[in-house]
Order: sequence, then structure tokens, then C-alpha cells
Amino acid sequence: MQHLLTDQQRAKHTDFKNFVTLNVEPFAEQWDREQRIPDHVISMLAKSGYLGSSLPPDYGGQGWDIVTFGLLNEALGKGSSSLTGVLTVQSMVSMALLKWGTEEQKARWLPPLAKGEIIGAFALTEPGAGSAIQALTTEFTQSSIDDSLILNGKKQWITCGQHAGIFLVFGKLGQRSIACLVPAATSGLEVEAIHGLMGFRAAGLAKLTFKNVKVRSANLVGKPGFALSHVAPVGLQYGRISTACSGLGLLRGCFEESIAYAAVRKIAEKNVGEFGMIRSLIARMGTDLEAGSFLCHNACRSEDDHVPEAFEKTLTAKYFTSRAAVRAASDAVQIRGASGCHESSAVSRYYRDAKIMEIIEGTTQIHEEILGKIFVGQAGRSGT
Amino acid sequence: MSTAEENGVKETVKRFILSSIAIADLDDDDNLFESAIVNSLFAVQLMTFIEKTFAIEVEMDDLDIENFKSLNATTAFVMRKNGRAGD
Repeated sequence: MQHLLTDQQRAKHTDFKNFVTLNVEPFAEQWDREQRIPDHVISMLAKSGYLGSSLPPDYGGQGWDIVTFGLLNEALGKGSSSLTGVLTVQSMVSMALLKWGTEEQKARWLPPLAKGEIIGAFALTEPGAGSAIQALTTEFTQSSIDDSLILNGKKQWITCGQHAGIFLVFGKLGQRSIACLVPAATSGLEVEAIHGLMGFRAAGLAKLTFKNVKVRSANLVGKPGFALSHVAPVGLQYGRISTACSGLGLLRGCFEESIAYAAVRKIAEKNVGEFGMIRSLIARMGTDLEAGSFLCHNACRSEDDHVPEAFEKTLTAKYFTSRAAVRAASDAVQIRGASGCHESSAVSRYYRDAKIMEIIEGTTQIHEEILGKIFVGQAGRSGT
Repeated sequence: MSTAEENGVKETVKRFILSSIAIADLDDDDNLFESAIVNSLFAVQLMTFIEKTFAIEVEMDDLDIENFKSLNATTAFVMRKNGRAGD
């Protein structure tokens, strides 16, 4: 797939991989065990410009194309899915705000988001509303005193909630869906860390409770009634691109760990890689890696080209790489045997993180429902 | 207003809609969002299509269902954004 990249994209990809080799891979197991990414690591992401990679330079971002954003997520995904989660949600909030924010909101929030001076989190999921986002119960009401809004409700499984300085919160104002920026320091907002996750253990997930939180009506992003149809989809599109490419990185990690092990580990006089059954597992992994690379590139290119097909191409890429990552991680543990089951092994972490990929930014089953409908619809339209 | 240009916009949008959703035909005033014929991605896909095809940007102030509810509404919106309405 390298031949599809420009010289600049290839050079950036090399930079990203070097960053991960130096600053991420040696520490990823420790972060996973401690269930936290140290603040200085997030600062390193910020200093490297990674947290504002797709925002325009006018707002302090790097203005990188989406293919480059995908390569960044792929490189980081190989190192740590948890760390990539910071990029995922930062881009979800930033890009939704770039598209639908007022000039005042963009001037106020995009520069610190681009520089990583503040972390954003996408507060959509609720205890009773995951994939079924229409079931949101978080409620905004109009204040009887002034033109502010009063927010009540609960959000759950919010990636980077522990680090966030600003939340993009989705809820209902009467019957209309709305999205609203809520600073973490707002009175009445309680942020509770979630520990004990199977995977993404260091991604800083949090539970949010809003009790009569007062928010300026000027913090509304987009117009009431369009939060779920227009604001959330922009954020989710970047979330899925990030997750698809992060899953691809995890898959690459499984592949590289497996071929390295298979080349040196001996059973009797033979290397593990000389056994046909092991070669079968590695063949599937390598083929999935190649296919996933093309699907991710295609999705990113479509987003760069700003074509309507970008949405289904991104769904396809995320669906493919998340499932392939689960298969690859399982096979990578199998190839390594007992050593792959220990917490010191990257494949052990990959195995736990991979499953999360199938759940975040829309479950595998939601992807199947949407993609199945799209594909069947295509047949109907072509009259076949 | 250039009728030929408006008709061109309408035909282009119509072709996109018919290629995106499973319906045989579409009348100019059929309500796309009340008829439950669109899938959950359609709203943003339609927005992306008109942005790309007609080199306009749908902005926060444009978020009004009246701008996109039908073929006629979407055509009028594109013409307005391009400064063509009332030419």
C-alpha cells in the first residue's frame, strides 16, 4: 500500500512509527497495568502536533490530510490502543466543532484543542443508550432565570473523560436533540473514573453525572434538532476512521510479533514458522493486514476527497479491521503459547484491546445492519 | 433566475438521491425526511454531496430542515448559496 502514499505521507508515517518505537511501545504494558496514561505522555502527543493533526493551521492545527491522520492512528494503534483513544476523541470533538461551531466557539476552543492544551471528550453514550443513540435521556431545559440551559443526566464509557477539559455533550431539549460544549470545571458536573476494564484500560474512561449544570446557550453546537443527524455523524466519522486505523495498527502488531516469534522459537529442531498450521494462522493475518490497509486508505482518501461514499467506506474499514484485529490477536496469543498469556506480552494486551475495537464507535452488529442495508439497497437500485 | 441552471442542479441532486435510496422515482416536492425512505446516513451524505458537487459549504445557520426536505427545497438552497436565486 506504500505505493499509494505521497513522499510526504511516507515521511510522516516514518516519523510516527519512530515516535511510537521510542515513546510508546516500551511503556504501553505499564500504562495498561496502571490503567492510566501519564500526563507527560499526552503532552508529548501535543508537542508533536498530533492532537491537532487535521485542524487547519488557521486554528493552530497541522492541516494534515486524512490519509496522514489515518497513518498516525495506525502507527499509534500498534503501540497502544489506549493512547490512540486520546487522538480519537480529540478529533471527534475538534472536527465536529470545526464543522458546526459558531465563529466564537471555534475561536475560543479550536486553538487550545489543536495545541493539545485542552483535551476534548465526546459525551454521547449513556447507561441506557449506546448504539441506540435515539434513546438518549440526558436532558437540557431552558433556565427560567436567563437564557442559559440547565443540564441533567448521566453519561457512561466516555473515553478520555478523566483527562478532558471540555465535553461535547449530547442530549435532548424537549423533543429535539442538541449538542453542547460543557467545560469539565463546571459546577454540578461530576467525573468518575472507570477502572477494571478488560481492554483500553489506560484510555481514561469516565462516568459523568450532570446535576443541574448551568450552561451558556452560546455553547450549543449546531441547531437544536440536528445534533444526532448532523453534529454527531461528523464526530463519529472521524472516530471510526481513527478506530479503523488503530485496529489496523493492532493487527500489524500481532503480525509482526507473530512472524518474529515464528522465525526463532524452536519446537524440537524446527522453528515454529515451519509448521503448516502456524503458517496458516500467519497467512490469514498477513492477508487481513494487506486488505485492511487498502480499506483504511480508501476510507481516508474518500474523506479527503469529501465524497458521500466516505461514510460507508469508513464503516467498511472499521468493520473489517476491528474483526480482523480480534482474529489476529487470538491467533497471535495462540502462536506464542503460554508466554502470550502473560501481562508482559504485547499480544496479551492486543487480545484484550482488540475486542473493544468491535464495540466502540458502533458495534460490529450495528455496522452489519447499516452496511447490509446499504449493499442490499444497491442491488435493488440496479434492478438485479 | 436561470431556469436551465436550476433544472441542472435539480437533475444532479435527483440522480444522487435515486442512486442513494431505494425508490423508483421522486417528485419535486416529495418529503424525504417524513417518508422514512432515507437511511440514517443519508442526511450527511446529501449534505456532503451538495458541498462537493456545487462547491458550497453547509454551515450552522443552514441547518434547517426546510433547506433539505425535498428536491425543490434542496435545489433552491443550492441556488441561494451560490448567489443564483433571483438572478
